[in-house]
Order: sequence, then structure tokens, then C-alpha cells
Amino acid sequence: MGRYIARRCLQAVLTLFLVVFALHLLTTLAIQLNGNPALAFFGDRVPSATQLAAVEQRYGLADPCFDQPGNPCLGPFVDRVVAYAQGDFGTNLRGRDVTDIVVAAAPNTLRLFCIVTITWLVVGMTLGSVAARWRGKAVDHSVRLTSVLIDAFPVFVLLVVYRYVFSVPLSNWAEDRFGQGSLPALWFRPSFDDAHPWATVLVPGVLLGLAGSAAFVRLVRASQLECYSGEHVRTARAKGLPEHHVITHHVVRNSSVPVVTAVGLTFADALGGAVITEGLMNIYGMGGVLWQAVRASDVSLVVGVVTILSIVTVVVMIVVDIAYAALDPRIRYE
Amino acid sequence: MSDAVTAVPEVATSSDVASRTLTADAWRTLHRRPDTIVAAVILAFFLFVVAFPGLFTSADPQLCMISQSKIRPQGFGATHPFGTDAFGCDVLAQLAYGARPSLLLALVVVGVSLLIGVVLGLLAGYYLGWVDAVISRSIEVFLVIPLLLAALLLLSLFRNVSVGSGTFNDILLPATVLTMFGWMGYARYIRASVLEARGLDYVTAAKVLGASDVRVMFRHVLPNAIAPVTALVPTSIAGIIGAEAVLAFLGIGVRPPAISWGIMISNGAEWVTGGYPHLLLFPLGCLIATVLSLVVLGDALRDALDPRLR
Repeated sequence: MGRYIARRCLQAVLTLFLVVFALHLLTTLAIQLNGNPALAFFGDRVPSATQLAAVEQRYGLADPCFDQPGNPCLGPFVDRVVAYAQGDFGTNLRGRDVTDIVVAAAPNTLRLFCIVTITWLVVGMTLGSVAARWRGKAVDHSVRLTSVLIDAFPVFVLLVVYRYVFSVPLSNWAEDRFGQGSLPALWFRPSFDDAHPWATVLVPGVLLGLAGSAAFVRLVRASQLECYSGEHVRTARAKGLPEHHVITHHVVRNSSVPVVTAVGLTFADALGGAVITEGLMNIYGMGGVLWQAVRASDVSLVVGVVTILSIVTVVVMIVVDIAYAALDPRIRYE
Repeated sequence: MSDAVTAVPEVATSSDVASRTLTADAWRTLHRRPDTIVAAVILAFFLFVVAFPGLFTSADPQLCMISQSKIRPQGFGATHPFGTDAFGCDVLAQLAYGARPSLLLALVVVGVSLLIGVVLGLLAGYYLGWVDAVISRSIEVFLVIPLLLAALLLLSLFRNVSVGSGTFNDILLPATVLTMFGWMGYARYIRASVLEARGLDYVTAAKVLGASDVRVMFRHVLPNAIAPVTALVPTSIAGIIGAEAVLAFLGIGVRPPAISWGIMISNGAEWVTGGYPHLLLFPLGCLIATVLSLVVLGDALRDALDPRLR
């Protein structure tokens, strides 16, 4: 186990290095094809040569390789890796550290992910178990229909409809019914409120979780069906255990390993969803920062945030792999 | 994957017969389900719209009269059956012409990434060794950066690159970026099933008979490895259509003056509370109808090709 973890971590470091290199190559190519991003700093104004040089210096764009298409710019790459290793992910166009921005924004993203994960597990476990228990019956078919319907509404569509169609009437209704500033009124607020982070993140989180839950329903159903036909379940029934005991102890528990690890594996997808959710609902989280940065063409902020999120994804993937090996004794990687 | 194993005895005699029986079996399951037929009809309709938008509307989507803005839907037969938007553009014409970038983008992205995924997955699973090491490593690297984040990053980096106009040029940038980060899933699936199939007796038999590597890969290994991937295709097309809408909302996908459903949704969203819900509901309805049919089709395909879930 120790050796497996060590090897996996080494692999992850290599992957991380390659990811940073790939991002560097793409960014460099974009700068070479696109012209100088330092110009974005000045907006519509035309800078003098010295002003431009000062900005280029500050964002590390002074190297002449950025003017030669096809040059991989290895010198700036080394500088960049060294800066990353020291925790310096650059600054946005206003000079604020990307690390600062991300640290300030991270708690709201974590809140969102908490709610999303809970929604996944609750919806997935409930519907999936019910469908597996009454396989082939009407319940099973309606659960399947529900999961198809859920799949058919991408996160983006769900949130656009909620934000622009339902949120305002619902929050007006809640304010009339329960009073201004009451909890239900906060739930349905069309935008994020720093003073009530949990309440205003709740509904977007549930919607994002719902949009991703179809995969969980299918996964839970499939893995429980496998359990139902297993020998240990037949044994448990044969020795006369009551059905509810068989289900809770022998089916649900045994089938939950792939489900728990799937939470980690869908993390990358959920990050994309979080960007959409936070952007549309004005939640000040990492995704929201990225969304605003894209709108404002703040390229250095976009590069910084995407790099940080990729690092987080790599770490989550290792944790998932290790958890998988630890939870399921049948799996051994050598 | 189990169907690849069960198909072995037949495949040993002739790979052609086996692939036909699997397809025939899948087809039999598919056309007995009414929902798949409805989904297929809806998709066929939208593909027809993509091919011949001019048959559905006589208006020019780019000809917008600001004096005729925000007309509510008038019903068929009137000048503007679905009304006009905030700039006075005909909604029906925009819907018909906007279908093309949305669907074309999705088809191109999924087609090209499937091709890349199949080739790389085959090479990695068949040759193993350093080929596999390189391909698996690049799969891992690309998987780390989520599709949407990569698209946001690259499209904002390349925002000012001009690629000219015309339907294909409009979708060129988003298609390239989405393809670049969309092929890994197929490659992984294909690699896994090739690994399973390459050691089987009929493959060894073909090699012993002197078949070339290319022939073994495409005639013997691929037909059995492709089944699990086929079921992914409709769902991925649906995913790309959704992604296009997001990118359009941020102004970095298909760019105006070109029209796509995503752009219509992002323009129309603000007018719902202002009393013009049709500006959002028409494009949204088309998008949902397409995505829903694709998802239904994908679900049915997954069932037909994976007997374990029945």
C-alpha cells in the first residue's frame, strides 16, 4: 500500500508538470499568434513604448521568444515553474495576487461543492436503490425516465431558466409570504449575498447537484443490481435475515464503494458546472472569478485560476485512487 | 465489455457475421421502443432544418428592422410567425439559420474527437510499450483540465484571432478547442476494450495467418471494441450543444454576427421578466428538444449494446 501511494504521488507530480507545460505552450502560442496581451492592460488607449515595456516586464512578457511563432519559450517556462513552486501565480490586470483572489473565493466554492455532493448522494442513493429494489417494475421505469429527463437539461439551461424565469417571482412570493430577510426569501434570491453565504448558495447548489445526479442514479442502480445477484446476498436471505436487513447491510453497504469514489471522479465535470453556476448566479467563488475574468478578458487571471484548479483536480484524483484502493480490498495495484 | 467476450465463438469463424449480429440485435431492440422512434424523428427534423433552413422561413435572419422590434408571436402565415427580438430580427429565421452552427459544431467536434480517440486508443492498446506510455500519459494530462475550463482559457486567449467568416469559420475556433479536450474519453474506452480483445484466440489466429497489424486492428479488434463507445456518441453530442450555449453566453463561442441557439438564449434571457418570454422560450425549446432526443437515443443505445443493464 505504501509503495502504491508513493508511486501514485510521483506519477501525479509528473502529470502536474506536463499539465503546466501544456498550459504554457498553449498560452505562448496564443500570445505569438494573437499579439501582445500587455496591450489589454491599456484598454483603448495607445501606450508609449516605455509604458508597454514596463507592463511587459511586470507580466514576464519581455522575452523576445513571444514574438517568434513556434518557439516553445523554455526560458519563461522555467521562470514560471519556479514562481508556481513559490506559490506565486501572477496577478490580475489590477495587480492583485491571483493566490489572494482564489483564497478569498475558495470558501464559497467549497460550500457549493458540499451542497452538490449531498444532493448527488441523496438523489442518487434514493432513486438508484428504489430502482434496483423494484427492478423492471413501474418504479424502475419512472426512475429511468426521470434520469433521462435530468440528463436532457444541461446545468446551463437549468440555471438560465431558474435565474431568469423563476427566481424573481419566487423571491417576491417568499418575501410577501414569509417577510423580507426571512430564510425562504434568501433561498430564492437571484444573486449571491456575502452576508448569508449558505442560504444564497443553497438553491444553485441543489440545481447543479440535480443536473449531475442522473449518472449517480444509474451507477447506484447498476452496482446494487450486481449485489442483488451476488452469492453473499443469497446466503443472507437463506439464513433468514429480514429483507430490510439484507438491503441495508449487504446490498447498500457493499455497493457504495464505487459510488463514493465516483464523487471524486466526477469532480472535474463538477468544476465546469461550478463555473457556470457561480458565473450565472454571481457567486463569489473560484468559478465566479473565472467567469468574470473571461468576460473582462483578464487573461493572466484566467491562466492563474485554471492552473490552480488543475492542480486541485490532480490532487483530488490521487486521493480518489488511494481511497479506492483502501476501501476495496479486492483491488490491488502492483 | 462482456458482449465482446460472449461474441468470441462466432467471431472466430468470421468477424463480419458477428459484428452484423450485434448490430442487428441492437437494431431489433431499438426499433421496438417508441421513444427512440420519436427521438429519431425529432433529430431528423432538426438535421433537415440544418440542411435547408430556407424552406422554413423566407425572412433573412440578418435583416433586422429596429422599428419592428419585440413583436410578439403572430402565428403561422403572418410576417413574423414567432415574433421578432429586441433588434427587430425575425425569431423563426434566426432559429432556422441558428440551428446550423449549433448542430454542426457538435457533430464536427464529436466526429473528429471520436476519430482521434479511436486511432490513439487502438494504437495504445495494440502496441503497448512506449506508444501506450506516451498516449496514456497525454490522456491523463488532458483529463486533468476540465473541458469547460480549457475552453474558457483557450477561447479567451485566442479571442482576437480572426479566422474569417462563413459557417465553417464561425465554428472553427470553438470546434478546435472542444475537440482538443474531448477525445480522451473515447481513447480510454477503446484502449480498455482493445486490451481485452487483443489476447483473444481469434486475434492470435488472424496474426498467425499473416494478417498485417493494420488489418488485425481494423478488421478484427476494432469491431468488437467500438460497441461501448457508440453508446457515448449521442450523449456527447448533447453535451457539446450545451457547452456551445455556455460559450455563446460568455461571448467566446460562435461569434456574432453569426447566429446560434446559444447566442439567441443569451440575448433572450434578459427579456423574460420584461414580458417577452418567447425570446428565451423558442431557442431554449429547440435546444431542449434536440438534447432530449439525443439523450433518449443514447440511453436506448446503451441498453441495446450493454446487456448487463437490462
